Amino acid sequence: MDRPVIAEFVLQPGCGKAIEMRRGMILRIEQIEGGQCVDFNCFNLHDYKEFFHTGRTRHMHGLHPSKGNFLWSAPPRERPMMYIMEDTAGTNDILYPRCSGFLYEYHYGLATHTNCHDMQAEAQREYGLTPDDVHDSFNFFMHTGIDSRGRPFIARQKSKKGDYVELLAVIDVLAVPNVCGADIMATSDFAFKPIRVTLLQGSEADLDTVPDWPKMANQRTPDDFRQKKIKADRELRRDTSYRSEFTNVPIRVTDLSVTLNDTEAAALDALKQTGLYGEGDGEVLRYVFFSWWIENFMQGPKHFEDLKT
Amino acid sequence: MVKLVNIGLNQQQLELIDKTVTRGIAADRNALMRKALTEYAAKHPPQGGAEAAERKKEVH
Repeated sequence: MDRPVIAEFVLQPGCGKAIEMRRGMILRIEQIEGGQCVDFNCFNLHDYKEFFHTGRTRHMHGLHPSKGNFLWSAPPRERPMMYIMEDTAGTNDILYPRCSGFLYEYHYGLATHTNCHDMQAEAQREYGLTPDDVHDSFNFFMHTGIDSRGRPFIARQKSKKGDYVELLAVIDVLAVPNVCGADIMATSDFAFKPIRVTLLQGSEADLDTVPDWPKMANQRTPDDFRQKKIKADRELRRDTSYRSEFTNVPIRVTDLSVTLNDTEAAALDALKQTGLYGEGDGEVLRYVFFSWWIENFMQGPKHFEDLKT
Repeated sequence: MVKLVNIGLNQQQLELIDKTVTRGIAADRNALMRKALTEYAAKHPPQGGAEAAERKKEVH
C-alpha cells in the first residue's frame, strides 16, 4: 500500500534518531544491505514515564515478537504503544539487554566504543532525556536463541537487503531507533551497515487492523496513583539547539589485506564451504577472526552460538 | 602460491586488532589474522553440509 511519506532518514553506523510519531503513523525500519540489528525504544510522547517494556512484551509475546504483536509499556501502565504491522525477516529479540560502554570495556578492554545505550541516550537527548532514561530495547532483526543448557546465544543474521518491519503507533510516541553498536559481537555479523527509517502517514484503516487488547482496571495511569503529582515535566519537547555527538562517528571502513599461504587458504575455503560464516573470503575471515577472539580473550560470558557445544 | 584476502574493518575493530597485537599475541595485523584462522579452523574442523544443517537446526 502506498502511504504518504512524512520523513525519511538513513541512520549511519554509530547513530540513532528520535522521531515524533502521532497515533496512526507508521515507522518502517528497513535493511539497506542486510544483516544489521536495530535497537529500538519508545516513550509516550506526552509522558516519558510511560515507556516500552521488554519484560511485559516478553511475557505477552515470547522472546521473538513479530508481525501481529505489540510493543507494551511498563507496569503499571501496561498497554500497547506500537503494533508490528509487518515483519519480512521474522527474527527479532527481546531477550538481550542493550549493549553499553561497560560491556565493551569489560569484555574487550575498549573504553570508548559505539554502544546502544549511549546511542539511545544521545538520540533522545534531543528531547531533554538523560542517559538514566534509556530502557532495554527491542532488538529488531537480532537473531538469538537459548541452547539446550538454558544459555542465551547470538546467531548469524537472517535479515537480507530490503527486509523491513513496520510499526504502527497506537498512541503518540517518541520512537528511537539506532544502528546497533556491536561490531565485535556476533549481533550484526561483525560489520556495521546503514539502516533506512521511513515515517509514513497511516490511516484509520490501518488502526482498524490492530487487534483488540485486554482492557483491565490494573492498567493504571497517574490518575490512579495515590501520589498524583509527579515531579518531572513529562511532556517531551524537541530541543532546537540539539546537535548530535555520537561516539566514534563517522565509522570508517578500510580494507586490511591478509596474505594466506596454501594451507591457510584451504582452511578458509573449507570454512566458507560450510555456509556458516558468510559468503566472500573477507566476510568469512572477519567472522572467523572475531569468533576466535571471543573464544580466546573475551572476558565474561561469551553469548556466542558457535561456542555452545 | 599465496592468496590475498581483503577484509573490511572499521576503526573500532582495528583498535581491537592492534591492542591484541600490542599484547604480543602476534607480530602484526596480518600475522594475527592468519593465527586466528589457523587456530579456529583446527578447533572447528568443517564437516560440510551435515554440520551446517545440524547447527542451523539448533539455532531455531
